Amino acid sequence: MQTEQALESILIADCGTVATKMLLLERVETRYRFIAQVEVLTTINPPWEDVSVGVTHAIEEVEQITSRTLLSGGRLITPRDGLSGVDAFVVILSGVEPLHLVLAGLVKEMSLESARRAATGTYTVVDGVISREGSLHSPEGAWARAIRDLAPDAVLLVGGVDGGASRPVMELADAIALGTSLLGSEERPLLLYAGNAKLRSRITKLLGGLTEVEVVDNVRPSVDKEYLAPARDLIEQIFLEKRLQKVPGVETLSGWSNFPLLSTAAAFGRVVEYLWHREDNTNRGVLGIDLGAANTTVMACFDGRLYPTVHGGCGIAYGPLAWVKKYGLARLQRWLPEEISAEQLLSFLYNRELHPATVPQELSELWIELAVVREMLRTALRIARPVWNVGADISLYGDMMPYLDPILISGGGIVHLPRPGQALLAVLDGLEPVGITTMLLDVHRVAPALGAVAGIKPLAAASALSPDTLVSLGTVISPIGHASDGDTILSMKIQYDDGSELDVEAHYGELEVWPLLPGQQATVELQPHRRFDVGLGRRGKGGTIQVQGGLLGLVVDARGRPLRLPADGEKRRKLLRRWIWDVGG
Amino acid sequence: MFLPYSVVNPLTLIEIERRLPRAGEVLVAEGELVESFQLVAKATEQPRFGIVNVARELHLPPKKVKPALKVKVGEQVTAGTILAARGMLGERVSRAPFDGTITGYGHGRLLLEAPPVEVQLTALAPGRVARVWPEEGITVQTYGAFMQGVWGNNQEGYGVLQLAVRTPHQPLRARRLDASMQGAIVVGGAGLDAEALAQATEMQISGLIVGGISPQLLPKLAVVNFPILITEGIGETPISSAVFTLLRDLAGRETVLSAHWSARWTARPYVAVPMPAESGRVVEPESPLMIGSQVRALRAPLLGKTGVIAKLPANKIELETGARLAGAYVDFDGEVDFVPFPNLERIF
Repeated sequence: MQTEQALESILIADCGTVATKMLLLERVETRYRFIAQVEVLTTINPPWEDVSVGVTHAIEEVEQITSRTLLSGGRLITPRDGLSGVDAFVVILSGVEPLHLVLAGLVKEMSLESARRAATGTYTVVDGVISREGSLHSPEGAWARAIRDLAPDAVLLVGGVDGGASRPVMELADAIALGTSLLGSEERPLLLYAGNAKLRSRITKLLGGLTEVEVVDNVRPSVDKEYLAPARDLIEQIFLEKRLQKVPGVETLSGWSNFPLLSTAAAFGRVVEYLWHREDNTNRGVLGIDLGAANTTVMACFDGRLYPTVHGGCGIAYGPLAWVKKYGLARLQRWLPEEISAEQLLSFLYNRELHPATVPQELSELWIELAVVREMLRTALRIARPVWNVGADISLYGDMMPYLDPILISGGGIVHLPRPGQALLAVLDGLEPVGITTMLLDVHRVAPALGAVAGIKPLAAASALSPDTLVSLGTVISPIGHASDGDTILSMKIQYDDGSELDVEAHYGELEVWPLLPGQQATVELQPHRRFDVGLGRRGKGGTIQVQGGLLGLVVDARGRPLRLPADGEKRRKLLRRWIWDVGG
Repeated sequence: MFLPYSVVNPLTLIEIERRLPRAGEVLVAEGELVESFQLVAKATEQPRFGIVNVARELHLPPKKVKPALKVKVGEQVTAGTILAARGMLGERVSRAPFDGTITGYGHGRLLLEAPPVEVQLTALAPGRVARVWPEEGITVQTYGAFMQGVWGNNQEGYGVLQLAVRTPHQPLRARRLDASMQGAIVVGGAGLDAEALAQATEMQISGLIVGGISPQLLPKLAVVNFPILITEGIGETPISSAVFTLLRDLAGRETVLSAHWSARWTARPYVAVPMPAESGRVVEPESPLMIGSQVRALRAPLLGKTGVIAKLPANKIELETGARLAGAYVDFDGEVDFVPFPNLERIF
């Protein structure tokens, strides 16, 4: 393996479900910069079934852009040979089927809930839950059938605090053993045990002869304690081994690289963690959202601790249909600024799944796409938030979001939206941030790549993370509270770098945008109405803050928190049209 | 430019994979010639099983169940057979819930398995066995017309191809389906309604091909007993001109319709019409995109339209949505429209 100092050019392939992003990072004088970025179709699925086909196409496009030779005989030249090739090649992957799990446990709201949280740390889909709770009759047959019929990749067995219940856990283990024994040796699920520590040897003895058994610390060692990290790490490791390393064509890519494969979520998490340390603000968390075609990743960092959540199988293209079956069409329709029939909406969702790489050509389709973005964000957040361990000074208002700064937005589902205002509006509606937040948009889709580079050359990643890389949409101030439409809820004096000043007011129900260009800074004196908190500690408290400019500028989301949409369809659509207009969408 | 592609080809090499749902036995050898209805592989389906908790039903501790058992492991029983009884007069009994074989006993419980069901796989298309996948299935090779669809109801069929509409834009209506279509693979146009679906079922057609279908009707397609293939997308979408022209030319021929479909097209539906030929056009997905290349639009408002590349502009073009994207001007039967590359696929 090369020494860290020798790595002057790094090629990163980020293979998503529909798009493969290829980025070339090079040292230019003292800094590292992305000198080429291309995006091509991912070729994991039929008719190609070989991820290296798309990667090779992408490298060929990088060759055209840079006029450099990177391939020789269909193989990447690495290490660099003069001006040809690159020093390092890193592959990150997410475009594979998530890991299919069955959760087995005793109490739905305790150990099984912890198991679910551990499972959402990476790309998983929970196909079934078998639970001891609430069953009056002997359900062993049904449990065993569930294991046999679902034939998951793994069963995560939890239950019993350490030293606690034994018999019900062993009954579950018996049923899992029976279900497993009815499957062929190739189909048998792994057994991951993260329950009562006292039973480890009995579980291993019972199931060890049938399948591979992995034992980790109890996810609920006591009633009031949750311990997810070991189970989460184990599931991530299994995802790497059972999914990523088995992607057709990945062997070819591994042959070009000295570095281990990484999941896109893990790489993205590193960037969010880095941003938290860079900001060094213990009064705020940092949030990263990566909305892809098939998965939504939410990475939150509080007090230096990362909380990863992947809503596997639910992205902008794959998943919304299943989501509609669960939550209904009305929840999507409420975000549409024009009337669109159920027939048209459903057709859109089906066709989006059939052709996941396509983009909206008509406004009506764009509105549906924006509605899907909002709801996928809201759903992913609902799954992610219960895991966050947030201090009371960061999360003052119970159900509302904690203070976050910055929020990093990535993934094709958002960054490919035609206008930055559309992306901002979808994120504001989907996340409902509170207080003062800088919004960073990963326009060039480099965030996961930077995370991957951070693992092999941290200095390169840090030096490449410039305002040109993650583009600021601007600073958003979202006052908390409610008033009547048109009421003044915030007065501001904006002092620009050039000495000019602007006295402005924000009115309830509006999205207000004031100019502040990318790279510009301003000092803003804030005086909220006594019933509104702008994130300075309490309601009515004002202060002076420094804000950064961005593609949109300084934005005040004066629509109140939590966001309320009018029940009347026509009124709501009119309002949605106005908000789109306000942000230049 | 690297685009996805579909095959819509009047004469090409067709490779049909026939895979068992679980490990079984392949009945033909590599190189053998097979007919459509010939059995080529078979397997035994997963048996249905149940656990009878005898201890619980007899109110006995598990250790005391064995003396109460009236059956042995390996014994065949019918539904209602007494499996175990407690007391001289049989005050408490445990009965078999269905026909099957007792395959196990432990912890006061009996494992009962229903008789196995055999799954049989036919060749589906006449041709030569090009490859045998031991215990899994075969690949049948033949030459002929081949066309891929976008969605199917996971069934398959075989019959003579018949057109029930005059143009690809015409939706299929019940009055167009008559007794002459019994056993036929019927070509509709821009979708069908519930009445036409019911009539198609009544007429016992062997398969149906339409451009699109209302999403509200999709759940009903899962329960009909013949394959339905959608060529373009969901919604009332006409069959594209390239596909309709090919189907019209093939009317009257024996046709295979596989409507097996899965997300991300790991299984993709197709229509195959085997021909007595020894060669065909080779599909070359790596060939460069150029003026004259045949393409299809994948997104509204042009969804399902086929045409040829008329111009490849060097600059990005702004769409109605405000997005600026690279793409191509496509001649759709005389009408030229700009389509961004992400919304195009090639046709080979």
